[in-house]
Amino acid sequence: MSEYALLYILFAPFVGALALIFVSNRQAMLVRSIAAGSAFVSLMVSLYLFYAYDPVKGGFQFVQKYEWSRQLGISLHLGVDGIGTPLVLASSILLFAGIFVSWHIKDRTKEFYIWLLILAAATIGVFMSLDLFFLYFFYEMSVIPMYLLLGMWGSHTKKYLEMTDPEGLKLRDSVGFIFNFGSNSKEYAAMKLVLFLSAFAVVALMGILLIYKYTGLNTFDILQLREHGKLLNIPVLGTTLDKIIWILIFFGFASIAPLWPLHSWSPVGHAAAPAATSMLHAGVLMKLGHFSIIRVAYEIMPDTTRELMPMAAVLCMFSIIYGGFVAYYAKDTKYVIGYSSSSHMGYVFLGMAALDYISLSGAVIYMFAHAMATGMLFAMAGWVYDQTHTRDIPSLGGLSNRMPFIAGCFVIGCMASIGMPGTVNFIAEVMIIVGSWNKYPLQVIVAVVGIVITLAYLFRMMRGLFYGPMDQKYSHSHDAVAVVDRLPLLIMITVSIGFGLFPMHLYNVVRSGVDPLVAKITHVVPVASGGRETLGVKREALENGTLSSPLSLAGDVSRITYHPSRGEQ
Amino acid sequence: MTFSLTMSTADLLLLLPEIILTCWICLVLIVDFSFPRLPKEQLAYLSIAGLAATLGSLAWFDYSGITGTLFADMFVVDRMALFFKMFIVAATILVILASIDFVHRFTFFRGEYYFLVTMSALGMMFMASANDLLSVFVTLEFSTFGFYVLVSYLREDMASNEAGLKFFILGVFAAGLLAYGISLVYGETGKLVFSDMKAVQATPGLIIGFLLIFGALGFKIGAVPFHSWIPDTYHGSPTPVTAFLSIAPKGAAFAILLRMFFVALATFKPTWVLLLVAASVLSMTYGNIVAIAQRNIKRLLAYSGIAQIGNVLIGLAAGTKMGNDAILFYLLTYLFANLGAFAIVIAVSEAIGSEEIDDYSGLGRRSPFLAFSMLIFLLSLAGVPPLAGFIGKLYIFVAAIKEGLYTLITVGLINIVISMYYYLIVVKKMYISEPHDPSPLTVSGPMKAVVYAGLAGTLIIGIYPQPVIDWVVAATMAFSNLAAPTAALPVTPTSIPF
Repeated sequence: MSEYALLYILFAPFVGALALIFVSNRQAMLVRSIAAGSAFVSLMVSLYLFYAYDPVKGGFQFVQKYEWSRQLGISLHLGVDGIGTPLVLASSILLFAGIFVSWHIKDRTKEFYIWLLILAAATIGVFMSLDLFFLYFFYEMSVIPMYLLLGMWGSHTKKYLEMTDPEGLKLRDSVGFIFNFGSNSKEYAAMKLVLFLSAFAVVALMGILLIYKYTGLNTFDILQLREHGKLLNIPVLGTTLDKIIWILIFFGFASIAPLWPLHSWSPVGHAAAPAATSMLHAGVLMKLGHFSIIRVAYEIMPDTTRELMPMAAVLCMFSIIYGGFVAYYAKDTKYVIGYSSSSHMGYVFLGMAALDYISLSGAVIYMFAHAMATGMLFAMAGWVYDQTHTRDIPSLGGLSNRMPFIAGCFVIGCMASIGMPGTVNFIAEVMIIVGSWNKYPLQVIVAVVGIVITLAYLFRMMRGLFYGPMDQKYSHSHDAVAVVDRLPLLIMITVSIGFGLFPMHLYNVVRSGVDPLVAKITHVVPVASGGRETLGVKREALENGTLSSPLSLAGDVSRITYHPSRGEQ
Repeated sequence: MTFSLTMSTADLLLLLPEIILTCWICLVLIVDFSFPRLPKEQLAYLSIAGLAATLGSLAWFDYSGITGTLFADMFVVDRMALFFKMFIVAATILVILASIDFVHRFTFFRGEYYFLVTMSALGMMFMASANDLLSVFVTLEFSTFGFYVLVSYLREDMASNEAGLKFFILGVFAAGLLAYGISLVYGETGKLVFSDMKAVQATPGLIIGFLLIFGALGFKIGAVPFHSWIPDTYHGSPTPVTAFLSIAPKGAAFAILLRMFFVALATFKPTWVLLLVAASVLSMTYGNIVAIAQRNIKRLLAYSGIAQIGNVLIGLAAGTKMGNDAILFYLLTYLFANLGAFAIVIAVSEAIGSEEIDDYSGLGRRSPFLAFSMLIFLLSLAGVPPLAGFIGKLYIFVAAIKEGLYTLITVGLINIVISMYYYLIVVKKMYISEPHDPSPLTVSGPMKAVVYAGLAGTLIIGIYPQPVIDWVVAATMAFSNLAAPTAALPVTPTSIPF
């Protein structure tokens, strides 16, 4: 059973989606149960995977390889390392939570769950692909469900209603439609999202095809390319080929991340999407970008990564500050959370750019932590929208009397998003800041300012929604009382706080994936005193109380060790 | 040049599929005349039975490896010819199934419709085997002849008549080009069989001759700049004929193009690559950009077809065995997606009497089955995983990148994004817009069969293409003498041509 764990995680949602095709839309309860059941299978196996992953052994585990096309050199090669494992877990948690968040969808329930399951399964597929073809395959496959989810179950944003052409009839189908930047309709958001992501996906595909050609191995297999692929520094167009490929790969995938100049599809998409889709979109879809950059650029082109990654360190400052300020001035709850996500993704880029053991681990943990925090916030923004039918912050207020549970959870969600001690976000943020300080002090200062801005806009939104005087027209709104409504929030809060208090396994797992990668890129091996023992020492120290938290270790760089043999296994 | 027309039984065996189909066509015609009261759909099933028998015999040939040549190499039966014949026959079967609902719109000659469709298929089967310029000319005209009639079959409909006239005049013009080109080539070389031309010298007459032949074949496949007949003809023709026209002649013409470029002109590859790159870039870009502005689904599919042919030409420009495999694979994925999409167009047009994209509003509520199938077919045409079209595009790109056709791949990738836009406009209408009239639509049995066949092909090839890839690789073994893909390293800047 255990060696097939990845197949269960990947295919359970697909099987669920397939089963749903044969169920009538009238049997709403059966539809929901099938969706929840298949997501539950995924979740349970992901939990098993997370705890069964052996961080001491490291490397890719649970590997499955099936030849798919001999002539093209493609195989369905699945496997997770310390970076993929937490992200697979985050995806299946958010899928399971998302199914309960959208429990009350009445319109075409069956289709909704089918597309949601396909979306989640595709993202999970990316996180476990060890084949460039399948990485792209699942990546591109996750885009189209977004279009349908946004278009069919999404909502128009407020500004849209104030337009002179409210239905957008004049421009909706013409060529001009796509350039109709004033439009805030869900159709516009969906189309923009798909075209933007597809456009950059083909940029990445060009990079992948160039890797395929110039390594000359006739394979898309990442492990083989990593071991044997040598991209020579062929001079092309005034620079070298490996740099061109790296830039294609980086910007192709950074668009979904979303890095600053390429971010504009993302908040629009968040605002238009239904709650569960926003959760998956912000929680895991955006991480596909970071993950793919790590998997493709870091693994296959380590030397080029070392040369060019400072570019990301520059851009991430703009991401953090720009996203933060727009979030502060946004009036729409989902815009606030959407821009906050795009701002927070800047931290991940900072952690990745520093190419340091601590900061890269911090970046990976941040992806996991952010998935939980932003998932909570979007779920609750969705709840408030369902109850009040508005997302306009100034017109809302005082909802804490009507929905105390949601208000309480919202406070926790904001705290997690800010990075309060006790949540896993805190650990991740501190690791990024500590790890990047030596290399990028300016960026770290910007990141700390970004935390302050985050505090400002989240508190502002919290006050705007839940405190102050309440408009009487919202007096009929309800709290989340039923188990199905509370369950998703409770799951995400538990995970966020649980890993915040007991992060050691998460940390070990992530480190086991990050260590060989950073060693390969930087060729810096801090202290080689035997990695296996050190992990054990750390664990013992933590249990004995001599080491209060992993962060005390994180600050003490000299004690971070790397055992070269581990990565090569 | 002497023809020995002494034929043995073994030689006749090579013609068996064609002989079966010829006899069956006569049978269909006789039954139509003899039993005028017979419901016409019985004739459809009768034709399908004959086509199925033909398909069976072709599959048997392919399985047992029966190959050979006839009539002094004019007629060749190799595995590629068998592939294209099966391709054509399968397309014909699906088109006839899709026609059953449509035929009641014809005022006259409903029985002859099936005869003409099958006869065109027979002509295209000969095209797939044509191995010299004379048989190219004869078989190409033979297959086009049926189409001239079929395109204008809706006699009361001005658009159909216009389509027929346009197709006829331009088609005859193309035939003239072809005949002139053949005469120039024969005058320069004294040779007609492709495989004899390997050692010819490039003279101006020969170059012009081959350009003219390429023009005539470009007309068949609808590549820019020979595409001008496509939109109006596709728009005006009866929809099943449009579906047939959009796939089968393209397959047959590609069989000839492959033989011409890969056998006769193999030594001139550096020259014709430029020609094909130009045609491919123009077709993709023009087809996709003009498709954005279309309001009619048939015109949209017409322009998208022009763009798809641009994609196939990338594989031809690669000029390798792998490019050749990719062409066959791509055409097969195109067969399922395109015929499926046209089947939906027929079904919707039967139910609501309109082919405007705007009338597809709310199809997702009115008929979830049709809308979902259309979604799959359009996304396959756009090249979205896990559908067949994606694998087809990737196969073509991989073949091209090995030859270093960077411009072509860049243009092709950009065009994927452009095409995504107009396909998604249709998806938006179907799923996001509210229906003008919420009554549910009904779909007839034969139409469902076509749609299911399209869905099965699109999904199965998309999810597990290995058997099909094996098949196309085996089918093009005859071309294995071509240059192997160039070694990846070392590469200097000068060796990156595009």
